[in-house]
Amino acid sequence: MSLLNWVMRKSGLDNLSAKYSYGVDPVLGFTSTRKHADKWVKSTCGYCSVGCGMELGVSKGKVVSVRGDPDHPVNLGKLCPKGLSEHYTIDAEDRAKYPLLRKNNELTRVGWDEAVETMVERFRAVQLKYGPDSAGVISTGQLLTEEFYALGKLVQLGFGTRNYDGNTTLCMSTAVSGYKRSFGSDGPPGAYADLETADVILLIGANVAENHPILCTRLEGNLGKTLIVTDPRVTKTAMMADIYIPLKPRSDLALINAMLRIVIDEDLYDKKYVENHTTGFEELRASLEAYTLEYAAKITGLTPELIHRTALLYGKAKAAFIGWTMGVNHSTKGTETVNAINNLALITGNIGRAGASPFSITGQCNAMGTREAGFASSLPGYRKFESEVDREELARLWNIPVERIPSSRGLAYPDIIEAAVAGKIRALWIIGTNPLVSFPNIDVLKHALGNLDFLVVQDGFHPTPTTELANLVLPAAIWGEKEGTYTNSERRASKANAAVAPPAEARSDFEIFLAVAERLGCREELFPGWTAPADAFEE
Amino acid sequence: MELPLLEQVKAGDDAFHLTSSARNSERGLVQLCSNGVDVPLPPPPGPGEQYRFHFDMTKCIGCKCCVVACNEQNGNPADILWRRVGEIEGGTYPDTQRNYLSIGCNHCLEPTCMTGCPVDAYSKDGPTGIVRQNADICIGCQYCTWNCSYGVPQYSLERGVVGKCDMLCYGRLTEGQNPACVSACPEGAIRIEVVRTAEWREQYRTDANAPGMPSADDSLSTTRITLPVRMPRDSAKVDLNRLRPEHAHWPLVVMTVLTQLSVVAFSSIWLMQIFGAHLHRVAALVALMIGTVALGASTLHLGRPIQAVRALKMWRRSWLSREVLMFTLFANAATAYSAALWITLPGGFDLPLLRQMGVFQKLTAFLALLVRQINAMLPAHAVAVLGGLTVIFGIAGVGCSARLYLAPGRPGWNSPFTLLEFYLTAMLLGSAGANILSGAATFTQLAVIIAGIATIFAAGIKMIWLARSAAHERRGVFILLFTVLSNLLMLRVLLLSAGLLLVPFAQTRWMAAPIALLLIAGEFVSRYLFFVSVVPSNIATEYLAMEAA
Repeated sequence: MSLLNWVMRKSGLDNLSAKYSYGVDPVLGFTSTRKHADKWVKSTCGYCSVGCGMELGVSKGKVVSVRGDPDHPVNLGKLCPKGLSEHYTIDAEDRAKYPLLRKNNELTRVGWDEAVETMVERFRAVQLKYGPDSAGVISTGQLLTEEFYALGKLVQLGFGTRNYDGNTTLCMSTAVSGYKRSFGSDGPPGAYADLETADVILLIGANVAENHPILCTRLEGNLGKTLIVTDPRVTKTAMMADIYIPLKPRSDLALINAMLRIVIDEDLYDKKYVENHTTGFEELRASLEAYTLEYAAKITGLTPELIHRTALLYGKAKAAFIGWTMGVNHSTKGTETVNAINNLALITGNIGRAGASPFSITGQCNAMGTREAGFASSLPGYRKFESEVDREELARLWNIPVERIPSSRGLAYPDIIEAAVAGKIRALWIIGTNPLVSFPNIDVLKHALGNLDFLVVQDGFHPTPTTELANLVLPAAIWGEKEGTYTNSERRASKANAAVAPPAEARSDFEIFLAVAERLGCREELFPGWTAPADAFEE
Repeated sequence: MELPLLEQVKAGDDAFHLTSSARNSERGLVQLCSNGVDVPLPPPPGPGEQYRFHFDMTKCIGCKCCVVACNEQNGNPADILWRRVGEIEGGTYPDTQRNYLSIGCNHCLEPTCMTGCPVDAYSKDGPTGIVRQNADICIGCQYCTWNCSYGVPQYSLERGVVGKCDMLCYGRLTEGQNPACVSACPEGAIRIEVVRTAEWREQYRTDANAPGMPSADDSLSTTRITLPVRMPRDSAKVDLNRLRPEHAHWPLVVMTVLTQLSVVAFSSIWLMQIFGAHLHRVAALVALMIGTVALGASTLHLGRPIQAVRALKMWRRSWLSREVLMFTLFANAATAYSAALWITLPGGFDLPLLRQMGVFQKLTAFLALLVRQINAMLPAHAVAVLGGLTVIFGIAGVGCSARLYLAPGRPGWNSPFTLLEFYLTAMLLGSAGANILSGAATFTQLAVIIAGIATIFAAGIKMIWLARSAAHERRGVFILLFTVLSNLLMLRVLLLSAGLLLVPFAQTRWMAAPIALLLIAGEFVSRYLFFVSVVPSNIATEYLAMEAA
């Protein structure tokens, strides 16, 4: 600030009263004048998978405040601290502004045309030399569903590589596999409303009070429930519980299996439901041979009485809800635990009716979107790679020969990295994720990235530890600057709208994908007549 | 793949019901809300009533929506939190409990922030009972941050003034809107209620106190807290054992030490004038200079130094204001006294130098005539009276200066020991100064040694009292002094001891001077320790907070 300003401030002549003044805003009421907005744009939160509706207040081309959308059924106007301060991310430091290409070992600014051209050329070169599967794509759980859909088609049908996965694998793939094994398809059954009508709610490996606080309103609203919280730590959620189960870390599977055995042994399961809707009951019973109360008590560190009581509560409930998040997912036995949870729900018929559900609470704001439409671990629309019927249907809808649609998935994220180490994947496109921070094995990752011929990183921020290693950095727009839909944990799709324009030359990921497709020559084929995300939504 | 819902929509069936949120109908008085569905406000308080917060600990999940919503409403940066969430825990695993406190301002019945404010920046609103703070009147002295035992007022370095929760009254409550924290809480843990103040005075002790909260006796907090039915008996704030040295408040270190020195220096000069007929003119000027530096330094403590003179306003109520008043009077009297000492000299301003410069002869002749006239007009003992006034105002000033540190939010300072310490500093440094003036006479040497021994004695008793105190903030002072600050404590003891031991060996005024310097240095270290070792009284903070709010 200028010398005069400094003197005015330090002497005390100026106490910045203008900056900190208040006024009455027609929407917010009496509040700081810096929060008053000229227009309000409805959108959906881009942080977690609760998927709250919110409105962004825009003044002079900047988002100055947010408020919860009182009409949105998920949150009814409430926002958690992340949502309340989300507008600060748009103007945060280190936004990526320009495409950067590494020349002479330095990232230098280039135009979009050169950036896209270089990317397509280098990818094509790698694929020609090493085969189509030598290109890999690592995506995220935070793009809009329309962007996932476009990216999926671009990668599988445009670039023609099946080695495409997202950071969601590190996180939610356990829940996905568990659902697929139990039900044949991904997609959590149930809704947030079940939290209000269930009479027994079991939360396992989930700290919703800390991570999905808006869901707690529903828990508090359900006065007749028994809330059982299972966690090695006394968390904020455990403090809300009627029964707190302090089990030893990593013993969730033993607990659920013991509960299964008690429910079966004491005849608390729904025989009709099992007969009409399930298979494999006898194998299940046989597999639980070892899970006596004493055995489970030894593994979990709980008393046999507590395990027994919990099993009875669940078995006798009218509508029982099991919710879990990463405490269950992030484990080598995660898929089995999810299966066990699904088994519990299935044999007691606690599924598909109000209040009853084995419900996986998702993490990222649109991990569900990539599961639905991403074309990475399954065909768009929860269809299966392996199903010929599904492939033919898609081929018809898309007007392409059915042979172009892969019949199995490619490598998953950790395997892509391993393949890069082995030299099988030589070109990699990382979108909206920061592996240098989030990937578990940094040394392997660095080795892998160093082995590549060409690395493209598309992110809203630069520099990040990952963008610093890239050959090409593509600046992307973030939440609040682009439009599309997010799908939340209960499979509710909400629209997110753009409130402001992206900074400098950053573009929305949707536009970037279309530009790459154009350069690749497949834009008209894969995205006929598309100009906006609405076109992807329509398809 | 069959898509039955899609078929239905295409067939024009009403497959999707647009459900309006039934809960939204609960609007009542509220027209606008920034977050969440607003619960209706209670009807406005009548006579003998006021608004107050109700915090339900059984519902709070510690999510901090309230904290962020408050910041957004008031446009505060992230390092200023007018509402804070703290954590308390107790019990033994797996029967531990973690509970949360969400505190804005308690809008107390006897707000200590208001009593201590020197410029009347605080007021308790008549109709609503809300304690409001005016950032334009505030001069940024931060005294209220010491007085509030909950740590509610927050000083903004950016603005140079203090701010705090004001329940957004004349902005929101009068429009029938809830404060931001009430609207934002997803669990409905914070509410506004109306309380009858007379009744509350009788029963506040049960409902206003909670583990992790300082005693409501300090200022009669009005916030009602609903505690869980069964809490572990050892529930305490999670930062109970986190001790960090406080800010040094350097302007105040300088000011307190130097005013104390200046006051007793003037006392010695005055006494020597009365009983010894010595006129220590130069010493008086030096003492005056020291006093001026001290008072000037003190304005640097303010966020708005240029407004310092307004601190005189609330002398009827605030000890800080009284200190400013007394020291202002002291400064004026000391200036007059010092001038008088010079004027009563025969010849007055008849300095030889000026005489030699013939150009100024007429001016000096005129001044000399003026001085003789004043001399003739002055009553005989006028100088002595001026000296006496200086001393009285000075001693009163030191007393007010010490008394203001007896603040509820600083238990380590809140005892008669502070008064004793300040006066002993004055005695010690004043005698050391007198020792120089008297040329190391025996009686001044004795005075220094007695003052020094008294200082050591008093400090020792204070340490024992601190170590054995029931209040954890006071025990914390002791712990800080003997762990993190132990080197400085040792330095302080060394400086004092060295000074005292050298006293008998200094036989002339020029050897007495280094001793005085040693003792002054020792007092600076001591005063620095006074400021940094105090442990503030405050509500609980978060478990991993880098710094308590």
